[in-house]
Amino acid sequence: MTGLTEAAAGATFERPRIGVVRPALHVWALTLAVLWLVPLFVLVITPMKSVPEYQDASQWALPHDPLELFHNLKTAWTSAGLGPGFVASLTYGLTGAALAIVFGSLGAYAITRLGVRLGFFWFILVFSGTIFPFQMYLIPLFTMYTDTGLYDTWLGMALFYTAIAIPFCLFVLRGFFSTIPAEIQDAARLDGAGDFRIYWRIFMPLARGPIAVLFLFQFTWIWNDLLFGLVLSTSDGIRPIMPSLLGMQGVYAGTGPPIVLAGALIGSLPTVILFLLLGRYLLRGLTLTAGQV
Amino acid sequence: MSRFPSAEPVRSGGGQRRLRLPTDTRSGAVSGPLAARLVAYLYLVPMVVLVGVFLLYPAADTVWTSLTDSTGLGSANFVGVDNYVNLIHDSAFKTSFLNTLYWVGGVLLLQVGLGLLMALVLSSTSLGKALKGIFYLPATISAAATGVIWFFVFTPDQGILNSSLRFVGLGGLTHSWLTADPPLNTWSMIVAFTWQGLGPTMLLFLVGLQSIPREPIEAALVDGATGFRLFWHVTLPLLRPMTAVVVGISLINSFKVFDIIWAMTQGGPYRSSETLAVTMYRESFVSFHVGYGASVAVLLTLIVLVLSIFYLRAMFRRIEKY
Repeated sequence: MTGLTEAAAGATFERPRIGVVRPALHVWALTLAVLWLVPLFVLVITPMKSVPEYQDASQWALPHDPLELFHNLKTAWTSAGLGPGFVASLTYGLTGAALAIVFGSLGAYAITRLGVRLGFFWFILVFSGTIFPFQMYLIPLFTMYTDTGLYDTWLGMALFYTAIAIPFCLFVLRGFFSTIPAEIQDAARLDGAGDFRIYWRIFMPLARGPIAVLFLFQFTWIWNDLLFGLVLSTSDGIRPIMPSLLGMQGVYAGTGPPIVLAGALIGSLPTVILFLLLGRYLLRGLTLTAGQV
Repeated sequence: MSRFPSAEPVRSGGGQRRLRLPTDTRSGAVSGPLAARLVAYLYLVPMVVLVGVFLLYPAADTVWTSLTDSTGLGSANFVGVDNYVNLIHDSAFKTSFLNTLYWVGGVLLLQVGLGLLMALVLSSTSLGKALKGIFYLPATISAAATGVIWFFVFTPDQGILNSSLRFVGLGGLTHSWLTADPPLNTWSMIVAFTWQGLGPTMLLFLVGLQSIPREPIEAALVDGATGFRLFWHVTLPLLRPMTAVVVGISLINSFKVFDIIWAMTQGGPYRSSETLAVTMYRESFVSFHVGYGASVAVLLTLIVLVLSIFYLRAMFRRIEKY
């Protein structure tokens, strides 16, 4: 490049890289952002109203007594039965995500480092679990669960959530493990470490970053699941939070919108808080998901 | 000593080749005693068993069920492709299929189109960082909760949408959005879905924009290209890899939409806002036309697989590079 074009290019640095900027666009972006906040306003403000207060005014009206929030949260949690769903989903999310990471990483380690035959075949076999729309699983799962007594049990739900979280864990960790230099493994072997010890004491700690992202994503996925909770469970304490929320909406939508939205708030808070705390990991995970396809 | 006798022989046997970056295809290079090789397979067992039992076997079984008249109870008879033939004559299925196409079109237009536009705008404004968070926040809420929130936003009387329209003097535009004549109820739900899904799309486009090399853009600027021409002839072609990813993900996801519809209309009123995923659920678990429901699931899968075939090819090419 000549000095002249460099200077010319330098002069353009002041201008935005993409080059489609006009003040009108800024205004538009701001307007859209404000519009984006409106449903969140409904989500946060409505549970602060009493039911008659809600019925009498538009959703724009501000609450008379914001402390009504705690009353509505309590009603949603106890009378409307969201509490057991919250606890159940918490345990499914923690168990399912943790076990999927353990099983997926064991598989990834075997495929990349233990020289199992047909490694790529095993990988594709397990990974193909991400290809089907969920509707492909529902009927046989329901039949299998009712036949074996897994239907509407904690174990049945936890097993399924673990299984469905495995393929993506395998995908990410297989990619990560294959970037770990073989010398590390060889050095550990010279020191007398066995395969399992190398996996648990060296590979897993090295993969802390990807594992954190995976845990976040799989926990969020399990927490947000509606479909499998609807099909595989029915009773309070087993049924996850999202089907519980919709069950509650069916009962209270007419008589108590503030209570239903208090329920939506309860169902949303854990993942929103996770996002606010770990936003940058979420972004990393998002680009991982994009890399998957 | 190591728990597994494989340690020593493996190291000495594969020592030379190990200097290369390890890959799967390396597996042939390792030559340990048989016992050690078998132990290695134990690592695969939990993963393969769980995925096999809870995902792969059910998927295969659904294909079989779609060829029967199963009702979920008692024994089912093999009926060949009858279920698939019946789909063609089923008006509820036609509505469902059409609605699914609305979803695909709506998501491509709103989520992808608007997502790209917002990425372009945000990448060129100092407000970008703050606004990014606002647009991403709804994505951290579940689709079911999103459906619940928007169910109330769309409420005819107290709903914030209608009361806003009345407030600005557009009272004539108010609707009972979710019980409205189709396809308005479907489009209403697509708007709610866009609210939730715009953030991730936008972020992916932002990542794509950041990875575009500066030189071509600067060269084009020097040549006097600005505004839309710069975008159309320079930025967009350079962004193509990320666009392909985003379009692919959105396309596949829009075919599979279920949660938000189940939360807002359950496919109603009178099955007018069902999509293929909702029809499958309703036929199988509400009407107990299990064989029929399975055929909808298989059809949905075929569509998604065919659509993503290019996409999967690109993916496997990427995987093989490891």
